[in-house]
Amino acid sequence: MSRSLLIQLARLGDSIQSLPVITSLHTEFPEQQLDLLCAAPVVPLGRLFPGIHGVYPWEGEKWHSFSTMPNRDGEQQLEAAGRYLTDLAFPDYSVAYNLNNHPRSILAAHLLSERVVGAGEQGPLNPSLPPWVSYLRRVAGDRGANRIHLADAFCGLSGVKPPGVLPTIQACDSGLPSDFAQIVNDSSLVRIGIVLGAGDVDRRVPLATWRRLIEACVDHLPHCLCVLIGGAGEREAALALEDQFSPQYLSRILNCVGRTTLPQLAHVFNRCQWVIGSDTGPLHLGVACGARAIGWYFSRARVHETGPYGVGHYVWQQQKSVILKNREAQGLGQEQKLPCSWPVMETIQLMQDERVGECSSEWNLWTSHRDEWGMFYTNGDKSDDMVLHRKETWERLSVLGSHQEALLMPREMIAG
Amino acid sequence: MNLFQRNVEILRRQDPALAAQVLESSGGTLSIQSAKSGVPTAMVKKRFLHSAYDPIREAERWAEHQVKDCQSGETLVVLGVGLFYHVEALRAKLPQEYSILVVVPDVSELVDGLSVRSLDGWGDRVRWVCGTPEKMALQVVQQTQRVRLLTYEPGLSLHQDSFDTFRSQLREQLAKRISGTLHIMVVGPIYGGSLPITGYVVRALESLGHRVSWVDHSLHYPGYRNLETIRDDRLRLTVQQRFSDTLGVISLAHVAEDLPDFVLAMSQAPLSMAVLEQMRRKKVITAMWFMENFRHLTYWQQMIGGYDFWFVMQQAACLEAFKNAGASQVSYLPLAADPTIHQSVGLTDQERQELGADVSFLGAGYRNRREILPALLGQEWIFKLWGNEWEHAGVLETVLQRNGARIDTPTSVKIFNATTVNVNLHSYTNQGFDPDGDSVNPRTFELASCGAFQVIDHRTLLPELFDESMMGVVKSPEELVPAVRKYLHEPEQRREMAEQSQKQVVLSHTYAHRMQTLLSTMGLACPDRIGAILQGERQAESLLARSRECPELAPLLKSFPKTDRVELVDVARTIRQKGPEAKLGREELLILMMDEYRQEKRDFL
Repeated sequence: MSRSLLIQLARLGDSIQSLPVITSLHTEFPEQQLDLLCAAPVVPLGRLFPGIHGVYPWEGEKWHSFSTMPNRDGEQQLEAAGRYLTDLAFPDYSVAYNLNNHPRSILAAHLLSERVVGAGEQGPLNPSLPPWVSYLRRVAGDRGANRIHLADAFCGLSGVKPPGVLPTIQACDSGLPSDFAQIVNDSSLVRIGIVLGAGDVDRRVPLATWRRLIEACVDHLPHCLCVLIGGAGEREAALALEDQFSPQYLSRILNCVGRTTLPQLAHVFNRCQWVIGSDTGPLHLGVACGARAIGWYFSRARVHETGPYGVGHYVWQQQKSVILKNREAQGLGQEQKLPCSWPVMETIQLMQDERVGECSSEWNLWTSHRDEWGMFYTNGDKSDDMVLHRKETWERLSVLGSHQEALLMPREMIAG
Repeated sequence: MNLFQRNVEILRRQDPALAAQVLESSGGTLSIQSAKSGVPTAMVKKRFLHSAYDPIREAERWAEHQVKDCQSGETLVVLGVGLFYHVEALRAKLPQEYSILVVVPDVSELVDGLSVRSLDGWGDRVRWVCGTPEKMALQVVQQTQRVRLLTYEPGLSLHQDSFDTFRSQLREQLAKRISGTLHIMVVGPIYGGSLPITGYVVRALESLGHRVSWVDHSLHYPGYRNLETIRDDRLRLTVQQRFSDTLGVISLAHVAEDLPDFVLAMSQAPLSMAVLEQMRRKKVITAMWFMENFRHLTYWQQMIGGYDFWFVMQQAACLEAFKNAGASQVSYLPLAADPTIHQSVGLTDQERQELGADVSFLGAGYRNRREILPALLGQEWIFKLWGNEWEHAGVLETVLQRNGARIDTPTSVKIFNATTVNVNLHSYTNQGFDPDGDSVNPRTFELASCGAFQVIDHRTLLPELFDESMMGVVKSPEELVPAVRKYLHEPEQRREMAEQSQKQVVLSHTYAHRMQTLLSTMGLACPDRIGAILQGERQAESLLARSRECPELAPLLKSFPKTDRVELVDVARTIRQKGPEAKLGREELLILMMDEYRQEKRDFL
């Protein structure tokens, strides 16, 4: 059986967004074992990805240490790096699918496989970009009317179409503190994951807003349990938030912030009905674990590229015109001001009966859908021609692509 | 055959001449005692050289500590003989490929050890180096260039002078063999006396072939100076401190952008402890040339742990104070001159008219100078006083030139050249000459380098730099006027003395000499980092010779001139030049990968 490698060295969010391409590759080439090379902290979660055979860590710090060994010459550095790579015991790969257009990722792909598909496929020193990479770069710079989701673009980059069936991560509760596990597994509760943290400061929702949301959940949703989600860096903020609640509310809050490993967090999400948060890794993990998402997208986050993947999710997107107005008012360039208001009660209404009444002019509600060209979001009943243009984009990029055969040619060409 | 004879036999197989010397010596240097553990221990002048309880355990701990830093390819040179428990322990802890040399300044001490301790099983894997310090240093460098000195402190006291001389000889020998080039980042002050010296140091390092990045903070002087408009003292000092801290962070950014082999900070360089600690975390070696009187300016005490190396211009008491305060490495490094700047120059008539005099003094208005120099007034000669900080100079105001303006370097060179007798009084904030005066000021070297004659106050460190055939030395203020008068009437003697002093500078006292000493000191202390580079181990030729383990590197290394220093970044650049269609091998990809990570700076600040 031939083996292939998917390379995704980015953070948690992009790793989760790679699940669709993993599924598609697995469906398209069932005889091919697919391994994953990912950032070392993501490895325990990667082992839970459906369709992945083996997971290998990419340890940036190790590489940095090889390159800056102060008392070693080039040969000794090379020897140390080579030994490290050998010790990881990568199998021989017939193809490496590289999702990151970054020199490190491209070099890793060429180090580990003779054949590379995706970023850097034309050679490690070749600056020309494959069509899908070029498209993604353009979208990142000037989003325009793009409607192709990042996870689907990863599929295009790898020469496969978006998956027919969506994968779900299933985790067991191994190692979860028993008091924790008891609450998490209590079937009488409606569990709502609230993602407090965000890697980027400009995507953080203020604690006061979370407080309002939690109070509204408890006041309006009987049997709800608000599960606070975040990393070790957000532990202080979570404790500060807890301090603000009276016992009546505290009994309906489970603070998991900084207390779980990624697989344990996946297990918690497996038990959540909803997950609410800004465009962050844990929000997407929640979705991949089966929770329905309500995203609050502001700052640089845009629903069409990185909205929660799947059907049945909602995104409150801060309106572009409002963002621009805020920027002008503040005299800001790239930096952005936080929204003036937050869709707190509107979010509660969505969870109550999936209908929303009046909403502030600052936010638009988008609902997720899927078709054969992947994910897309619509704003109410408004017709959106750009959604239809996705097919054309797919066809154009696939024809332009050096491996346009991915969609049109026999699959063994790709499988190597 | 007794223990001693068996030991001599082992020595004879390795070094017959040394064995013969041993047989001729009667020993008796060490007083042999029995330790509590039952093995022999040794005493000298009522002090134990080894533990009185358990010398073996003590030696093992010493060896354990030493081997942590040892790298393969190095020759370990042990200073301190005693009963060689430490040498045996070191040998036992290191693989065979490490060579160990033991420096033996006195055969008699070795004989005492051989009489009570057996070399069986290890002594034939250690080399004993014997002779004068000069010969021993030569023997060491003839055998190896990657030297790591390991000091067994208790064993040093017995022959401290010999070991000191051995060290400095070894440094000199190694300095002669320097062929590699370093990248050195020199961080200068915002202003002050060490600023021009920073320039001389940079030029000297460049003249020795090293790549120098000068972080010149004098560019920020106008901004710093402008802070003096803040009238409130506390506010002003706080803002000045923060300004200085920011310059430290700027230095750190320069280090991050172009990582040097080490950072050389000059006195008053604005590097805070926080910045130095970050450099240490990033494994950047740091050195400070502290060119202040350690008794007067004491900020070194707060900074002592921040630098890996301290170089000071005072000896004995200073070295001891720094060591006691926790300096890991402190060495004496006197000031010097730059003969490309401080030189004999021709003067126009106009210059001679303005700048010339029978007797001159150039310097700032310290208390002792204000009190001593008036004696030069009202004499049969023309006396001119140059320099700044002479406010309220009293009678001296009549001879103060240019209204006490600061004199720049080119003008000072002309003044030195145009003066018959240059008076050089070291600064002192009290009366008379500094009774603890040891260090020699830069003006001494600069005057000498100009070929100018000087009368100087006595300093304890002066005789080892210049002798009395090179300048007039006065031991008290009262001797100044008679000395000036005497030399004014001895033009031939003046000329000869000045010429001698100028030769002495060129021979031993240029900044290039100082930098050679500094580099070889650091190379000796860091043989794997600084030493290896200085010995040319990073040059293409040397790397190529060692690339047998990795033959893929050879074609890449061949593309560099033989004597060029080649680092990962250089090889990576060569690989990238192969063009977009190139197919790269595993090693080339690995090199590019490491280069990608090498460029990562995000956690530096």
